[in-house]
Amino acid sequence: MVNVTADSNKSQEKTINMSPWAIARRKFLRNKLAMISSFFLLTVIIISFLAPFITTADISKVNIMQMTLEPSGDHWLGTDKSGRDVFTRLLYGGRVSLLVGMACTALVVLFGTIVGSIAGFYGGIVDSALMRFTDFVLNFPFLVFVIVLSAIFRGYVDGLTILIVVISLLSWGGVARIVRSKILAEKENEYILASVSIGCKPSKVIIKHLLPNVLSTIIVQSTILFAGLIVAESGLSYLGFGVPQTIPSWGNMLSASQESDVLANKPWIWMPPAIILTITILSINFIGEGLKDAFNPKSNR
Amino acid sequence: MLKYTIRRIIGMIPMLLLISFVVFLLAKAMPGDSLSGEIDPNNTDPEYIEEMRERLGYNDPIIVQYFRWVGGFTQGDFGKSTRYKVPVADLVAERIPNTIFLGVTSLVITYILAFAMGIYAGRKPYTFGDNIIGGLNYLGLAIPSFIAAVFAIYFFSFNLGWIPYSGSVDPTLQPGTFDYWLSRIHHVIMPAIVLGALATASYTQFLRNDIIENSRKDFVRTARAKGTPTSKIYNVHIMRNSIIPLVTFLGFDIATLISGAIITETIFTYPGIGQLFLQSVTNRDYPTLMVITMMLSTLTLVGNLIADILYGVVDPRIRLDS
Repeated sequence: MVNVTADSNKSQEKTINMSPWAIARRKFLRNKLAMISSFFLLTVIIISFLAPFITTADISKVNIMQMTLEPSGDHWLGTDKSGRDVFTRLLYGGRVSLLVGMACTALVVLFGTIVGSIAGFYGGIVDSALMRFTDFVLNFPFLVFVIVLSAIFRGYVDGLTILIVVISLLSWGGVARIVRSKILAEKENEYILASVSIGCKPSKVIIKHLLPNVLSTIIVQSTILFAGLIVAESGLSYLGFGVPQTIPSWGNMLSASQESDVLANKPWIWMPPAIILTITILSINFIGEGLKDAFNPKSNR
Repeated sequence: MLKYTIRRIIGMIPMLLLISFVVFLLAKAMPGDSLSGEIDPNNTDPEYIEEMRERLGYNDPIIVQYFRWVGGFTQGDFGKSTRYKVPVADLVAERIPNTIFLGVTSLVITYILAFAMGIYAGRKPYTFGDNIIGGLNYLGLAIPSFIAAVFAIYFFSFNLGWIPYSGSVDPTLQPGTFDYWLSRIHHVIMPAIVLGALATASYTQFLRNDIIENSRKDFVRTARAKGTPTSKIYNVHIMRNSIIPLVTFLGFDIATLISGAIITETIFTYPGIGQLFLQSVTNRDYPTLMVITMMLSTLTLVGNLIADILYGVVDPRIRLDS
């Protein structure tokens, strides 16, 4: 106990002359769980995106001679029912799952921030109109409408693009609400009044003065979103309404477990994506917690 | 309070109309005749099809068709399933008890587990037991429900043989008997736990943090100073304050259960609304699809409404504010 207080006293002395970002960085670097998670996530991202250079096996080729082989030296994680190497598909699948997650997160954060900051900054009728619209979107049962929408557009447009657009269109509401409430609180400060009074354009006030101050909230939110959207993608793919079956993704690989024979007797086909997906989600959540902690001035770890 | 409640309910109506319009447009946008089911699929004579289209009103303007659909809907005419050739109302009525049973069981399990774990962890924070519960919570929050379901079936059904992996009841049993209900509970228990895992984790977390926070407040110190037994402080003084905010979660649970049921029911092949929904998308059974989409959207709205009203009950500032 004595050590801990001494430690925190010391760290408080040190942090006196540091910028908030530097303090946050220091706190985050000291958070073991978050650092391990970041390391793991980075490894997964790098390995999946380098998949074409790591393995030479063809992911799309059906090989009847090598159907449902158990893990061995040739096939580290065995092969699936079409004779495709599970390890290779795991790498390529990670690429697709992470890419869909990242693209959705980027779109959701972009759209949510735009709507939220405009509503929060202007207030009045603009605010109520935008927020009613946000409520409207938030009132849709997410899964139901994603499934219906992707069923409509299937076949018209590239499956991956439509999935990303549909998921993003239905998920930005939460971010918009949070950004709005933060902007509402932030714009009461005098420096905003000052920048408005010297004639800054609203766009400049929002982008240069308001957004940097709500950035920490947005970063934490986008981490949580990233995890949630990867889950959404893989859940939809598992049900057969996500990434087209021809493209491997973790969810698509997992959907093999819908056959009870595969589920009961061939765990090497579905367990690897299940486990890697769970650990990835867990580590993203830990990173999110770490960031939240790091940006919180009250926490003193 | 009554004024606030009425205002919220009236505020729901335009939202419901808007959603119904979106659902209708989506169904129209789907490939094929979204409201069909009346046309004989074996008769491909273009004149017959044109005549039937005219008679069923598919050539009317969209707005007219929309109002006809909404009109029928409000009077209880939900159309006929194109796949099963029976009224959608019957189809849904057959499945609904299963889904409600699943949802209620899931809620009961959630509350029991969350209260037991949350109260324990809140009373003994930073101990071994609290850390274990915290770890379980993390898993509950992070593991996607479909992965949890797949693992549950693999371990508990296939390897241990404890629970059945499909259906809602053993079909050989007589409805109404004790064994029948036992079998139903046996079938529903695993999907219900999986469905409730996320809510259990967030309830536990919330309850624990709230109990810890409350236990540092002045009224607890006063109670202690008066010599009130610790168990009474926790069970009466703190619990009362910690349960109040928890009440508001109930509304959101309805929305979560709906989305969750689609995945969980499909994985456990549990014959409920969620499974029917996915089947209707796959089979392009548009009348069924529209009814279920409308139903789930309405339920989500009602869930959010309940949450809003309960917020108002708990926190008087909210009902005065807006």
